Amino acid sequence: MNWTEGEDKTPDFSDVVSGSSSSAEAPKGEAVTRTYTVVAGDSLSKIAKKIYGDAGRWKEIFEANKDTIKNPDLIHPGQALKIPGA
Amino acid sequence: MKRSHFAAAVAVLMTLVAAACAKKEAPAPPEQSAAPPPAAAPAPAPFNVVSIGLGKSINDDRTIKDAATTFAPHDTIYASVSTAGAAAKTTLKAKWTFGAKDTLVNEESRDIAPTGPSVTEFHVAKPSGWPVGKYKVEISADGTPAGTKEFEVAR
Repeated sequence: MNWTEGEDKTPDFSDVVSGSSSSAEAPKGEAVTRTYTVVAGDSLSKIAKKIYGDAGRWKEIFEANKDTIKNPDLIHPGQALKIPGA
Repeated sequence: MKRSHFAAAVAVLMTLVAAACAKKEAPAPPEQSAAPPPAAAPAPAPFNVVSIGLGKSINDDRTIKDAATTFAPHDTIYASVSTAGAAAKTTLKAKWTFGAKDTLVNEESRDIAPTGPSVTEFHVAKPSGWPVGKYKVEISADGTPAGTKEFEVAR
């Protein structure tokens, strides 16, 4: 990567892979809940690939966020998405 | 003589009455309990973030194994958040940003219900390589900033 701070072009962080785990249990009655915030260049399939390792599971993310995502091809940087089963 | 006997009898009677009254007015002895009352259970300590560690790897207990503030472009970067106290539900969030413009790199949150000391780790990796430069990770608990760690990626 040749990008250095100070250049006009914003680096692409859409391929960043993230995860988390805790010694504390999840709140009672709830599955482990993770939230992912969309960054520039993300798509649901990219996010599914990052989180599940399988881009085809984008529908699971879409289903879990139907209250905020009307069009699965249209998500916005900064948008927080619930990640089911992660 | 009869008068003096009468007076003596009255005096004895009054003494007895006074003694009886005094006995009635005497305070009841304190009730003896078999055992002291049980001490109230201490209230659980409120949830709070104790420390934030940064490094290249973690131990099995999720604490930082290999602490670092400078990373290589292909390193996985871990932030380990040690907390104390209990909470029915708390949301821990890690927000990773890059450069002076705080370009969002990644933001992830996790709901936890700690019953005591706990450790939560967040990690990020970039298969194509991190751009060199300065980064930071901000940790918050239920939206309240709990700490920030700055680090650098260098070749």
